[in-house]
Amino acid sequence: MTMNRRSVLKGMAAGGLALAASPFAGARSAFAAREKDLNILCWEGYNSAQVLDPFRKAHGATVKAESLTNDPTMINRLRAGETNVWDLINVNNPWARKVMYPEKLIRPLPRETFEPYFDKMLPQFKPPYKWAMDDSGTELLGMCQRFGPYSFVVNTKKIDRKTAEDVGWDLFNDPKLAGRYGILESDDWNVFGLFVVAGIDPFKKHTPDEMAKFEETAKRVFKGAKLIGDIAAMNQALISGEIDLHLTGGTYSVSPARADGYPEMRGITPLRGPMAGGKGGIAWIEVTSLVNNPQLSPLAETFLKYVQQPEVAHTVAFAEGTYNPVTQMGNPDCFKLFTKTELEAIQWDSLEEDMARCVEYDIVPDYDQALDIMTAAKRVRG
Amino acid sequence: MSNAMTETTLAGAPEAARAPLSARFAALWAAAGVRCAVPVVVLLAAGFLAPLIAIFAYSFAPPRSFDVFRAFSLANYAELFSPDNTVWLSFAWSIGFALVTCALLAVISYPIAYGMVFLFGRWSSLVSVLFVFPLFVSENVRLYGWVLFFIKNGVLDGSLKWLGLGGAPEVLYTPGAILAGMVYTYLPFMLFPLTLGLSMVPRDLIDAARDLGANRFQIWREVEVPLAMPGILIGMLLTFVLAIGAVSEAKILGGQSVIVISHDIEIAFTYAQNWPLGSALAVLVTAFIGALTLAVFARLDLDRLLGRR
Amino acid sequence: MTDIKDKKPILQLVGVRKTFNDFAAVEKIDLDIFEGEFFTIVGPSGSGKTTMLRMLAGMEAPSEGNITLHGERINDVPANKRPTCLVFQSLALFPHMSVGQNIEFPLKIKGVDAATRKARALELMAIVRLPASYYGKNVMKCSGGERQRVALARALAYDPEVLFFDEPLSAIDYKLKKILEKELKDLHRETGKTFIYITHSLEEAMVMSDRIGVMRAGRLIQVGTPEEIYAAPVDRFVSEFVGEVNVIELKREGEGWRGVNLPGAFRAAPPKDAPQADSTFVVVRPEFMRFLNDGEEADNTLEGVVYNEYSLGSRIQYQVRVGDKVMLVELSRSNALPAAANRNVRLGWDVRDAISVKA
Repeated sequence: MTMNRRSVLKGMAAGGLALAASPFAGARSAFAAREKDLNILCWEGYNSAQVLDPFRKAHGATVKAESLTNDPTMINRLRAGETNVWDLINVNNPWARKVMYPEKLIRPLPRETFEPYFDKMLPQFKPPYKWAMDDSGTELLGMCQRFGPYSFVVNTKKIDRKTAEDVGWDLFNDPKLAGRYGILESDDWNVFGLFVVAGIDPFKKHTPDEMAKFEETAKRVFKGAKLIGDIAAMNQALISGEIDLHLTGGTYSVSPARADGYPEMRGITPLRGPMAGGKGGIAWIEVTSLVNNPQLSPLAETFLKYVQQPEVAHTVAFAEGTYNPVTQMGNPDCFKLFTKTELEAIQWDSLEEDMARCVEYDIVPDYDQALDIMTAAKRVRG
Repeated sequence: MSNAMTETTLAGAPEAARAPLSARFAALWAAAGVRCAVPVVVLLAAGFLAPLIAIFAYSFAPPRSFDVFRAFSLANYAELFSPDNTVWLSFAWSIGFALVTCALLAVISYPIAYGMVFLFGRWSSLVSVLFVFPLFVSENVRLYGWVLFFIKNGVLDGSLKWLGLGGAPEVLYTPGAILAGMVYTYLPFMLFPLTLGLSMVPRDLIDAARDLGANRFQIWREVEVPLAMPGILIGMLLTFVLAIGAVSEAKILGGQSVIVISHDIEIAFTYAQNWPLGSALAVLVTAFIGALTLAVFARLDLDRLLGRR
Repeated sequence: MTDIKDKKPILQLVGVRKTFNDFAAVEKIDLDIFEGEFFTIVGPSGSGKTTMLRMLAGMEAPSEGNITLHGERINDVPANKRPTCLVFQSLALFPHMSVGQNIEFPLKIKGVDAATRKARALELMAIVRLPASYYGKNVMKCSGGERQRVALARALAYDPEVLFFDEPLSAIDYKLKKILEKELKDLHRETGKTFIYITHSLEEAMVMSDRIGVMRAGRLIQVGTPEEIYAAPVDRFVSEFVGEVNVIELKREGEGWRGVNLPGAFRAAPPKDAPQADSTFVVVRPEFMRFLNDGEEADNTLEGVVYNEYSLGSRIQYQVRVGDKVMLVELSRSNALPAAANRNVRLGWDVRDAISVKA
């Protein structure tokens, strides 16, 4: 082949297009052999050195993990063409079966290899587990590990647990508590929370009247908030006494404070609420799936098996940042690794009853509209 | 001199115009300097222009879609400019914060810069190090430090209580806290251009003005400020541009009591997953800052202010 | 200038001293400056003349002693409150202002209205010979000489009683400098103000001044009219500073003197500042040194060979080798020595034309 300027320019143009098409420089790795590469898009925890380093060492692999703190962003990264970058995606329960699999962003796992792991999980994850399966119930779409109830967090020295569970979301309708609560900045969860505070089930299509009620609630609740911030800001404000409770939170957000010696801070699951079956709490379950990558790394499946090991599952539960229960606690080999303090931090004492009071995280059909209303409500609080 | 220049240009222009484009390009390519500059130009194009073009293109994609370059829509701009959209509030907050930050910083930095140039002598390098040093610590860490300082039962409140002086006033999670955080964060970006500007004022001119009867204020107004103007303007522009894009102060110190424009852009790109809308907002902010910068530089005749002509 | 002694002192320095840390820049100076005189302080760089000027202008306070203006102590009066004005060595023109704005600056500070200011500026421009068309010109586009005039006009606009000049002509080419020296002298006469001028060039001082003070190492070593300084320098430093001179070192021998590094006995007056000293420097100006015709005599004579001649315009300078020393002789062009090169000559000078100073 003769190399002339024209062919070089053509090559450059193609490269330029590839660069423009994918904001991330994944184009290069897509063309290389992927035996030793693994790219993970996940919530924080899976990207920690504690979890990844032993795997890297054992397989001599280059593992890149990027952590994001909301599901829609991760899914849109795949939609924007990054399916040829990532091998694994770790998001909350509804996305795999309701969005990513129908859109062919992920591919199924071999059932015979991975289903046996579900047998050893906590009872409610017995196979076939709903959120791990596709709609038809034939394909296994991902593996479950971390989960938890996620409604709101209270300083039980200020508002006792019984009252909080009993009054439930109406705490945020109480004018006396205005200025005494914070709001965690995870906006997707706040949409759920505000619907529930308004007495509306979030996970359905809403009438204009319901949306109006939602808007009124959003404006009022944001106006009454002492602060909006991230997990660290919430825990700091709880501990210092700036606030007594905060909206949308649970084990995931409060466990660092509990582990630091503030067991009075507690994720609360209300006894009742407007959701299906009169339930008052919302829970999330992470599902980790294989990305529909044309050059999928063989290490992807290896990694999914690796994190199911009791020791690694324990590490994942207590990876840096937040501490969470894991499904593998159903396995006595794994459960025995948890110390009393660790169980305390993740509210093991009430985990089962809390989960029983929860519906599972789902997609809000009119989320976009609700989020816009909520953002506007935030803007006018100042 | 200027006559000679005009003549050369006039003589040179038609000649260049006569040469065919390809020949001129070849001649340009033959220059070693141009070839050496290629990597830099490519890097700039890829790292600087490509994202800008992508954002610009996205702003014309249909709302909440990823159909960049495939569809054209003005819906994002229409939505931003629609009367019931409250995004102007975020704009107003950002511009307001930026203006006040700029003004406060000019007032605060001027005496410090004056001291560094005219008074501190050999201590001035130590003073600059003190102001530079915090830049080595991440902005968020420093802001969280302030939260710990001001929070209930924090450093300030706790100390005052321990001393029996009652608690500290509640300053956190207010617009005032945001402003204080911005002033704190951007101080070096005003201070150093200002120092540079003041150091361009010859000492003799200040002595001369005083000798001609000017008092301290008159010297400041008639000599110092006009001559330090390049530094003042650059410092103001720098802090204004940085401050209009500031988001951490509003989030951390302000507890999001105010939503600033960058936060709106961030929400559009994350929770809302409305990249086209976020891009349109980003384009508006960029256009605003660009227009402002051009306006300032058009007024800023550096050569004249530096006395080169 | 009329007789200085009739004038009242305007500025008086009594025991003025200025130290920076341990270094004394100016040592114990006593000096009276008279109203309307053109007084020049001359000295090499580092002699303390600039420090002295800054004290007079109010930019430095003396460490010791007193400065009085019309008999009032002004040590602590700041520059902007003194009726004095300094023309800086750098000129210190405001680069962001036009010629007119520069000149009007002190008037603007005083609150004079714009029309009056402009009229006064144009008047002053005429006085310093700047065309009125320069009023709106960017001051940085002016030539060196024009800038001098702007600086001068600006100082005059302040209407000071005393004008200070800190080597304003040091960066100007020779020809223009000569013109400006003359103009400055004219201006002094026209305005009748007291001018205090600083320079390292005695030539400049000689041309313009009523009186000159010579400074060295922080001390004022001689004060006098240009003639006095020229004719009777107080020591070898002053005499050499005044210009190129012949310096001849002599040792006392009985009633007379013997040359050091020069053959023979010489006649000389005893050193005026130390009459009993055993040795002396005799300073002879080149124009007082003359070539002797055969049979012509002088108080002192030397023999040598001409090895170089220079034209100084209307005068010619000859360099004559005497032993391993070089003597200078200056003659007017009309008295030029014919066929001077390598000519054996006899030099002579009289005791009355020589100055004896302490060795």
